[in-house]
Amino acid sequence: MNDLLAGCETAIRLILTADPEVLNITIRTLQITSSSVGISAIFAIPLGAVITFRNFYGKRLLISIIQTLYALPTVIVGLLCYMILSRSGPLGELKWLFTPYGMVFGQTILIIPIMTGLTIAALQGIDPGISDTIRSLGASHLQFLKTHLREARFAIMAAIIVGFSRAISEVGTAVMIGGNIKGHTRVLTTAISLQTSMGNFSLSLALGIILLAIALIINLFMSFLQNR
Amino acid sequence: MIEIHNITKAFDGNLVVTGVSETIQKGEIFTIIGPSGQGKTTLLRILGLLERPTSGEVLLDGISVTGLPASDPNRRRIGMVFQNPVVFKDSVFHNIAIGLRYRGLPKEEIRKKVLQKLHEIGLSGYEHRNATTLSGGEKQRVSLARVMVTGPDVLILDEPTANLDPVSTEVIEDLIRYYNRVYNTTVILSTHDMIQGQRLADRVAVMMNGRFVQSGTIFTIFTRPCSVDVAKFIGIGNIIPGTIIRNEEGLSVILTHGSLIHAIGTFPVGTKVKIAIRPEEITIHTGPDRFSSARNVIAGTIEKIMPIGIISRVSVKSGDLILSAQVTWQSVRELDLRPGDRVYLSFKVPSVHIMPDEP
Amino acid sequence: MNGSFRMCIIVLVLGTILLVGGALAEKVESLGEHNADRLLIATTTSLDATNLLDLLEEKFKEQTGVTVEHVAVGTGQALEIAKNCDADIVMVHDRAAEDKFIDEGYGKDRRVFGYNYFLLVGPEQDPAHVTGLNGTAAFKAIKQAAATDPRVVFVSRGDNSGTHSREKLLWKKAGYDYAEVNASAWYREAGAGMGQTLTMTQELQGYTLTDSASWATYESNLSLVPLVGNDENFLNVYAVMRVNEEKCPDVNTDIAKRWINFMISDEVQDILSTYGVEKNGVPYFNPGRGSADVMGVTVEETSDKVA
Repeated sequence: MNDLLAGCETAIRLILTADPEVLNITIRTLQITSSSVGISAIFAIPLGAVITFRNFYGKRLLISIIQTLYALPTVIVGLLCYMILSRSGPLGELKWLFTPYGMVFGQTILIIPIMTGLTIAALQGIDPGISDTIRSLGASHLQFLKTHLREARFAIMAAIIVGFSRAISEVGTAVMIGGNIKGHTRVLTTAISLQTSMGNFSLSLALGIILLAIALIINLFMSFLQNR
Repeated sequence: MIEIHNITKAFDGNLVVTGVSETIQKGEIFTIIGPSGQGKTTLLRILGLLERPTSGEVLLDGISVTGLPASDPNRRRIGMVFQNPVVFKDSVFHNIAIGLRYRGLPKEEIRKKVLQKLHEIGLSGYEHRNATTLSGGEKQRVSLARVMVTGPDVLILDEPTANLDPVSTEVIEDLIRYYNRVYNTTVILSTHDMIQGQRLADRVAVMMNGRFVQSGTIFTIFTRPCSVDVAKFIGIGNIIPGTIIRNEEGLSVILTHGSLIHAIGTFPVGTKVKIAIRPEEITIHTGPDRFSSARNVIAGTIEKIMPIGIISRVSVKSGDLILSAQVTWQSVRELDLRPGDRVYLSFKVPSVHIMPDEP
Repeated sequence: MNGSFRMCIIVLVLGTILLVGGALAEKVESLGEHNADRLLIATTTSLDATNLLDLLEEKFKEQTGVTVEHVAVGTGQALEIAKNCDADIVMVHDRAAEDKFIDEGYGKDRRVFGYNYFLLVGPEQDPAHVTGLNGTAAFKAIKQAAATDPRVVFVSRGDNSGTHSREKLLWKKAGYDYAEVNASAWYREAGAGMGQTLTMTQELQGYTLTDSASWATYESNLSLVPLVGNDENFLNVYAVMRVNEEKCPDVNTDIAKRWINFMISDEVQDILSTYGVEKNGVPYFNPGRGSADVMGVTVEETSDKVA
């Protein structure tokens, strides 16, 4: 319990003094996470829309698989991406291993299933009368999709928040692909993991508090966007 | 203007619409009435081009519209309003404007049209309200405006007031009549409320078991239902089986449950029929005089008296024959009617309607 | 109207974030490309714990302009990473594993640059009475005491690290079958790094084997005490090798050779002789220069420059 209080104190101190190493780690965390959320969203949301509104053989199975992938352990994603990005792997030419680019690659793969699945859930949750209304008003196929996405926008934003949360809080992928290299691929979660393994609990807690503070700010911003 | 050619629709092998053909004139209000679950919604969805028929086609001014993509200009001439009021999670303005946005109209024009429609439906000033906060009746008005602002030639409404209170219902009905009159929009409307059909329609079709069993003016259907099912639907309370035993002076005499009833029409003796008599047209008398012009008189005992609004249905038993008469409360009191009383029922010959006997 | 106003705000905020992020990216070191000016070392946590590598990497960069980075994982994983051609240099402390790595053709030009000792640490009360015993005797004592005293617990790294390998060797030298020891009730396999293993050992008030550099780093947080050390059984020798370019054509061979020479250079060896003395009393890593005998290796391995 002492550690908890010490952790709070340390967090405040680190933030107020703008500790350079913490700043470095925090900025990198934000860069990597926002990149992976952005890229994921670009793939996942349209993909979710297409899957929802097309009928094809095996659709339910596909959706089940997507939902199953929510439970992918981050360290497995890390391991698979490591094998892909390794010099001896298929994408080795990219030389993304142990770099932030590789981490974005890994986190994007990690959160695409969640964002796709939640987009599908958001769209399926729309009253079927809405779909009828849209069609009967003479919408083209693109207008049809756009109107549905707009109608489900709150739920889709929730999906983005979930994706962001999973990305910013995961360790397994970041550490396997990034290597927790100081000044280069160290992010908040990998730093927390390291400090914990070294027994510096109050510093770990402080970093954890900072991570949550960031998540809080992002969430407040999101809810400002949603506010009507 | 709209031709429906032998539309059928099956879901998983179940025939829901079993063959509907009809021609609807431009500017007509055509109402489809019938009990729930008989295919009305499916038929309207086919007419609204939300479903493909299993066979048959729909022609709009001679052009087949059944298979067209949603954004085809011909397809866009048809608009639809649904039973459950549907609004987008947006402002009222945005809701009404959306069809115009689909059609790519410029902003200023959209604004003008939307504000005008808001005025027409009596919701001026509601532009920025969140549409989901409106009442059911208001939402349905918005739905109507949303469709009408795009200027469709055909407006299809599937039980539009089924979920609304009587005041809102009246508002919606007024708007339908208004649009039909001012824009000459052809209206196809379905309802399970026969009285609404009476209020709105130029022509009516009764849909049962997936087809139109009778169509014509509301008057025709009311007074000459073509089948027992239609008769039951329109609320003729007394439907009784009988047999023609003789013909005299252009009338048929029918034996039913031991009583004789005279009706207009000549049928071969021995024909099994069903006869229908409106309860409103049966009069109750407590004594055996004063029914001069009524040819049919039946004596019986009151079984029960059921109040419905300001009238009562009095059920009278004569042997195995049970007839329902409609009487005002006042009459019940004045005549001091009670169950068990011995009374006389009288009704005129034209009140008896003969229908073929169906299993 | 209202909608487009909010749109503007959103664009502004996002734009600001991107700009600030981009500007501050200058503060953050470049999102490195793996090019000729970058060397990647796969190494163990025990080397990383003292921040020695950070210091040496800085110096190397000053002298050569090359950015050196390291990933600190268990010895087993470090060698795997190297075999996958994902690193240029390997720095570990498991002679047997290194030999295998070289024999399989992956490693070349091994040089030994430093050494320290493993330590057996445990609770102050020392229920197994290992104080004063030598390495193998201590392990024997633990096993025998554990049979009757439930307070005696041994915590193992259990992760194929250099420390774990040495531990297994010691059990064997003490005359026991490792599989049997592993299955005993008093033996806990942590499957974790040194820091976490030490924390667990403390919680359980048990015994564990640690390297002295890690111990020096973590000891302030712990109530355990070192009980046995400085014994030839506990010698911990650190070596550096480069990945064979025949197996991994993309490896930075030239820079790798320079790094190896750097590690055995007088400059670095001088640094080792003083690094950590202030806090620790003795260096975290004793320089390998001149100590070939102590470490049981050839002199060439400690001082021959790589061509």
